Amino acid sequence: MSDTIIENAKSHLRNIQVTVVSQGAEAIIFQTTQHPYLPSSISTSSESLKFIIKYRPPKTYRHRTLDQQLTKHRTISEARILQKLTNIAEVNAPSLIAIDSRNGILWMEHIGYELANKDISSLKNWLWQFNHDESKALTNEVQDTLRAVGRQIGELHKNDLVHGDLTSSNIILSENSKAFLIDFGLSSQSTLNEDKAVDLYVLERAILSTHPLYSYEYNKWLLEGYSSVFSGKQETKLKEILRRYEDVRLRGRKRSMLG
Amino acid sequence: MVDLDRYLKPDQKYYTAIGLEGSANKLAVGIIRHFPGQLSESNRAEVLSNIRDTYITPPGEGFLPRDTARHHRNWVVRLIKRSILESKIDIDELDCICFTKGPGMGAPLQSVVIAARTLSQLWNVPLIGVNHCIGHIEMGREITGADNPVVLYVSGGNTQVIAYSEQRYRIFGETLDIAIGNCLDRFARTLKIPNDPSPGYNIEQLAKKGKNYVELPYTVKGMDMSMSGILAYIDNLANDLFNNKKNNKIVFNEDGSPKITVEDLCFSLQETLFAMLVEITERAMAHVGSQQVLIVGGVGCNERLQEMMKIMVLDRKGYIFATDERFCIDNGIMIAHAGLLEYRMLGEGFDLKDTVCTQRFRTDEVHVKWRD
Repeated sequence: MSDTIIENAKSHLRNIQVTVVSQGAEAIIFQTTQHPYLPSSISTSSESLKFIIKYRPPKTYRHRTLDQQLTKHRTISEARILQKLTNIAEVNAPSLIAIDSRNGILWMEHIGYELANKDISSLKNWLWQFNHDESKALTNEVQDTLRAVGRQIGELHKNDLVHGDLTSSNIILSENSKAFLIDFGLSSQSTLNEDKAVDLYVLERAILSTHPLYSYEYNKWLLEGYSSVFSGKQETKLKEILRRYEDVRLRGRKRSMLG
Repeated sequence: MVDLDRYLKPDQKYYTAIGLEGSANKLAVGIIRHFPGQLSESNRAEVLSNIRDTYITPPGEGFLPRDTARHHRNWVVRLIKRSILESKIDIDELDCICFTKGPGMGAPLQSVVIAARTLSQLWNVPLIGVNHCIGHIEMGREITGADNPVVLYVSGGNTQVIAYSEQRYRIFGETLDIAIGNCLDRFARTLKIPNDPSPGYNIEQLAKKGKNYVELPYTVKGMDMSMSGILAYIDNLANDLFNNKKNNKIVFNEDGSPKITVEDLCFSLQETLFAMLVEITERAMAHVGSQQVLIVGGVGCNERLQEMMKIMVLDRKGYIFATDERFCIDNGIMIAHAGLLEYRMLGEGFDLKDTVCTQRFRTDEVHVKWRD
């Protein structure tokens, strides 16, 4: 990772001790033990008090106007969604602590833990531990976890929010096996079945390409979990979303590919 | 490591293959030679001939399947003859004839398949059908030496972000509607700029003169993207500019003078579309944890796209691999190369009755036997 980006981030975070957790596609994730508002004397170095700083660096490859517009828009909309989600008990997401939209910085609650191989406990890394070992990859535990993830997405959609970038790296498991959704940069509020269907399709494709050996089972369990949260009156809603989902899938598969 | 020489004949010193490509408006023939053993730094494939002929339509028009097929039928014999002469090979040396099985436009594909079948029976050489996208990827890897990159495949009919895993090239992101090249070609038609050498190239030249960035829709959905809305939007701007619709305040100033030029539109379209491409590529890199990017396909020749990709990749301390127009634009050599790899694993060709082509043939349908 380029050092200038980190220097850049540090210049916006004066006097705050940070360590890099990972470099995602559009953001760098830092970790710190200091709270942005509390006096630093309160900050303890105890492991229990950790915060995540998500920094969207300027992307020099794209036009400045476009870049500033995207960074600001995504930081603000992610903050808005996180704020909304704090009022929705059913959806697990990190709670928002602070935002600096002009510099593309968000402070959030820290979630997840370190897996045995030192990787962060994203669904992707967690599932990859069991790759090539069918006895571990298809256990009840995996099934329960994926159903829980499916339920999270279902709850999100029930509240007319779409994630926009569902992949197994954007789902974090906590130590007590709760599934958290993260990375709401491409999220939006939407009542359209189309948007929800695309969300499901993006996830299906991500699972297919990231976990190819067991994608059939994984997708099935995710969808089972997803469907289970729609009950009573909402079942017609579910049917409409799933019908649309079939449409989107067909569109993706049958699109003419010339050239 | 996969053994590529299990079917090597006792006295055979090398493999030779001819490849025929005609899935869109380019008819191309290539002849390639592999030497036994793994392809590596010290054992590169040898390009003996790589020629093409492009069907070019007048400004404002695209290429229609029927006319394109006629072009291919008219030129295929001449091109093959020239290629054989150029490569100085004997017909007896050929191990297999490779042709594009798909994806592509039906009629042009068929006219090339018929040529391939005829030659196969005439010379008694086995036939190998090749997936066009796999051809691009394998040739890109061979030419650049990238061993396991995230592949951005951008052309007139395809926009895909691909990474290899478990003997398949898996599609991580792609367009949800039209392809990038299609988007550029259609905008070129709106502008009525020449299709020679290619519409995308002419847009690129205009874009170099553009200065003002016009805000366009930006539609990235996870690792997928959508371009039809952007095309419709910018087409409207261009039409308003041409038809002097002074009430469009994006295009005209208060005093009625034009605010933007055709060059600005080309510039903004490229900036927006390419930013989306680079973004989804970066997403795929982060997702699979890869440090290499390989750009293939006709739009991959665009220098601005290569430049933007390079900036992104350097920020991640990675490596970028791109080829020039000989290998980026549809060519026969890539079909010969990918077909020969397949042949070395099979030791035989298709049965004549199976040598069909198909308009729809996804990249991830191909079992990549030659990699582990």
